[in-house]
Amino acid sequence: MLDFMENVQNSFYDASHWNVDNSYGALNATARALLDFQTPKGLRLQISSLAAPNFATSYTLGSVGVVDGSVSYLYSSLPLHRKFKSSDLDLQHAIRGYRHLQELRRPDEDWWWEVWHSGKRIDRRDTLLYGRIFLPQSRLEALYLRRLTPTRQLRISAVSDSNLNNGGTILTLLQNDAGKYSTEYMYSTDSALLGVRGLYNFGADPRVAPTEPVSAQQVADPPHGRFSAGAELYYGLLNKSGGISTGLRFTTLPNHTGFPYTMTLTMNPLMGNLSSIYAVKAGPNLALCSRFDFNFYSYESELQLGCELWRRRSNADVEWAVKKLRPDWKQPAIAPDDDVTGILKARVDQNWRIGVLWEGRIKELLFTLGASLDLKKREQVFRAVGIELQYSS
Amino acid sequence: MAFNFNWSPLIADTSRARDMLTTALNKSPKPPIIVDDIIVTELNLGTTPPELEILEVGDLAEDRFRGIFKMSYTGDAFLTLKTKVQANPLNTYLSTKPDFASPQPLAAASGLTIPLQITLSDIRLSGFVILVFSKQKGVTLVFRNDPLESLKVSSTFDSIPFVRDYLQKEIEGQLRVLFMEDLPAIIHRLSLRLWSPEFQELESETEERLDVSKETTVPIDPLATPPHDAVDAFGNLIDESTISALSLDPSSELHASFSQKNMIRLAALSESQRTLSLFTPGIRDAVFRAWASNPDRPESGAATPLLTQSSLSRIQSTFGSVRSQASSVASGSSGQDTQSSRPTLVSNYSAPAGLGLGANRARGHQMRKRKKRVVDLRKGRDGAESSGISSEANSPLPSTNVSESASVSAEVIPEEREKEEELATPPKSPVKAGVHFEGKHGGLDVGEPSRFSEKTVATDTLLPPAPLLSDPPKLSKSKQKPQFHSHLEAPEPEKKRASSRPPLSRNRLRSTQQATSPLLRSLSFDKVSSLSAAASSKLPLSPSYAESNASSGGILEQAWMLKMAHEIAKKVQEEKDGASRDTSPQVQAPSKGLWAGGEEEIDAPPAYVA
Repeated sequence: MLDFMENVQNSFYDASHWNVDNSYGALNATARALLDFQTPKGLRLQISSLAAPNFATSYTLGSVGVVDGSVSYLYSSLPLHRKFKSSDLDLQHAIRGYRHLQELRRPDEDWWWEVWHSGKRIDRRDTLLYGRIFLPQSRLEALYLRRLTPTRQLRISAVSDSNLNNGGTILTLLQNDAGKYSTEYMYSTDSALLGVRGLYNFGADPRVAPTEPVSAQQVADPPHGRFSAGAELYYGLLNKSGGISTGLRFTTLPNHTGFPYTMTLTMNPLMGNLSSIYAVKAGPNLALCSRFDFNFYSYESELQLGCELWRRRSNADVEWAVKKLRPDWKQPAIAPDDDVTGILKARVDQNWRIGVLWEGRIKELLFTLGASLDLKKREQVFRAVGIELQYSS
Repeated sequence: MAFNFNWSPLIADTSRARDMLTTALNKSPKPPIIVDDIIVTELNLGTTPPELEILEVGDLAEDRFRGIFKMSYTGDAFLTLKTKVQANPLNTYLSTKPDFASPQPLAAASGLTIPLQITLSDIRLSGFVILVFSKQKGVTLVFRNDPLESLKVSSTFDSIPFVRDYLQKEIEGQLRVLFMEDLPAIIHRLSLRLWSPEFQELESETEERLDVSKETTVPIDPLATPPHDAVDAFGNLIDESTISALSLDPSSELHASFSQKNMIRLAALSESQRTLSLFTPGIRDAVFRAWASNPDRPESGAATPLLTQSSLSRIQSTFGSVRSQASSVASGSSGQDTQSSRPTLVSNYSAPAGLGLGANRARGHQMRKRKKRVVDLRKGRDGAESSGISSEANSPLPSTNVSESASVSAEVIPEEREKEEELATPPKSPVKAGVHFEGKHGGLDVGEPSRFSEKTVATDTLLPPAPLLSDPPKLSKSKQKPQFHSHLEAPEPEKKRASSRPPLSRNRLRSTQQATSPLLRSLSFDKVSSLSAAASSKLPLSPSYAESNASSGGILEQAWMLKMAHEIAKKVQEEKDGASRDTSPQVQAPSKGLWAGGEEEIDAPPAYVA
């Protein structure tokens, strides 16, 4: 389950029309959500609140051996109106699962953002500030996010911790998203790492599409899927080492009539790593994902399988009545996932390491129950068990 | 005396050492680049043994040994390790960074683990080694400083400079830890297995436990039985009696050596020095610095009849040395030459030891003082003779051993020596000394401690050099000596030369200086106890002896321990950058008159030039 603050940041992206998925870094977002999810450790409590549309606070308390915690504040210049109360929060937003990509949105024109008042331009760039301090460790995380233009965003994240080299590290990320393609440039103070990422979407360019006269054929056959290719390149100036990878992805779009699926292939030519991911949303409640890694230098391979299952309550006594409702009748305006009793995420790899996550809502509390197991180690099957509770108002 | 250092059997079977190394290497947290266990696949100690130079022997008996060596190794040993490393630098780099500010690359950080074979060869070691051996407790070997000078790391990645440099750096770091922390434990366990059969049975289980609990390198409760290799914060050996004070269940003999009352008094005394309190508790048999400042005082002072010149001078020397704390390491280097004469002290000690049965309280006291003294064995000849002269000394070997312990301590602070010279009686002619020597023994036989004053001590120290005497022990000594050299010191001709030819005059003069050299004594504190133990094994020494011995140690010893740590550390430092001063032998040759030590202060003695 997403942290409250991550959820708020996502809503900021939403509100400022920034497409998080249109980035090379998000090429394997589905696989990360279904295969690389973190299982909680120990007990963790989080109390958060979006006190005002622009301001959020969150406190966490954890106990993994010792009691630790964190305090975080967030300010957004853009009022956020998504529901964050844990009682009526949309679980789809709080839980990362299969990423069903949408049609690319045409980026805003620059002048759309201009606001003039009595001959002066008074519009402001949307900004998000976020800080979090972890208490016993005295570790500080800070984030500065700014929409420079409709197609550009600056993201500066910093960590200050006495345990790190030079007392901390700062990462500057400049992101450009033109819809058809996106580029990212980054610089990290740690070993002066420079990075470039790029993603190119094949197919129609969302910026020019509406102006052209469309033929009947095109209207009848909207694109069912999107093919994207990207690459990333890193180079550390100080340690004179780098990294490179390229990736391809094909994913179905909502127009696709069958079940949605995503295929991703990433390759690291330097290290000889090849990774293929196939993810399927087999139904409204089920997503499956598999990943096969192969290294053609060391011939090492790895297979991971994962699934996400939404379990809904079946209230049989009213079902017949619901069926009789006419489609145009207005459904009772309760949360769409009100009948969700829980979401099960599970993954397993070829070494029989298993991760299980059970997430859901009880009354006004969001809970995450997780465990990671290692069946190969008979004497200690449970590697970690944990529970997270979130309450937000 | 000689050490037979048998290297070849060590080479034969290294499988056990391999296993232990494997455990040791996997003990400490590994750097992120190493993603698998480190397995030692091959271990060859090579055909060239390390060069060991005895700096000091603190305790020597048939079943025990304690000494400080200077070790240098340039042999052909090699070690092959097998592990798996992460070849992607981005992966290792990111694994240590917080997620929040991480670039979070998509696949650029994907790992590539590569089996890696590392061969460590051309290992160059040089350092001071404290070696303690006891038949019951095995061998303990502690490095006084970081011994690793250089080594060559050759691996699968030699063609990639970045990885190669990284590996070299990481491995050197790990090896330093290994030498300083793990190797002593490994050697200890190996030796226990060899010598103590009962431990062999325990060992299998112990080893498993050791893997879990790392602190217990010695599988003996440190409080239940005193550690045989106790080392204080500065790496100096701690007197066993001191340890026994710490231990909850001291052995019977040591138990007697510390009385609660004495402890309290000593504590009060040391406390009084730390504060401005004017109150100084009266302690019997204690010597105060103020008294020592006047050399005549003890002789005349009826109140302290037990004070001997030796004890006085010792105190004085402590005093002096403390003042001359800043004295450079160079001064320490003077040791080598001066050591030659030191053996004379042995006679001093060995004679009473031989006569030991008649030891009364006073004698015991004297002996205790004496014991603090250390005598050089390096120039074993003199020592041998002295022991021979005092024919009653149980066996020439042990006594010489005692003297041998002197060694390092020879790094004397010159100021002190001069100071002590003032205190000591002027040097006398060798012939006379010989006469005195005889006379002294007679006196000793009678057991007149009060008479045993400055003069006798001085004459003692003025023992004539080897050529004057032709006792059988000497012969054996001289026989042993070449052996010793061939084993341990062969590669250093200068030293040999110095030791083999004892010029009379120089020797004699030195001896006077040396006799009182304080560092010697200070260093030998630890030896005293062991020595006494050794002596007691042969002679029925009264417990009071041990008691007095222990009680006298306290404060001064502590101060000296500190001092010594200081000195040794300095010396090590000096030696490290003193390699350029290699020219000393030539310079010394012409001016080796009375004060050879003078120029030695400037030049490192050959013994310390690696």
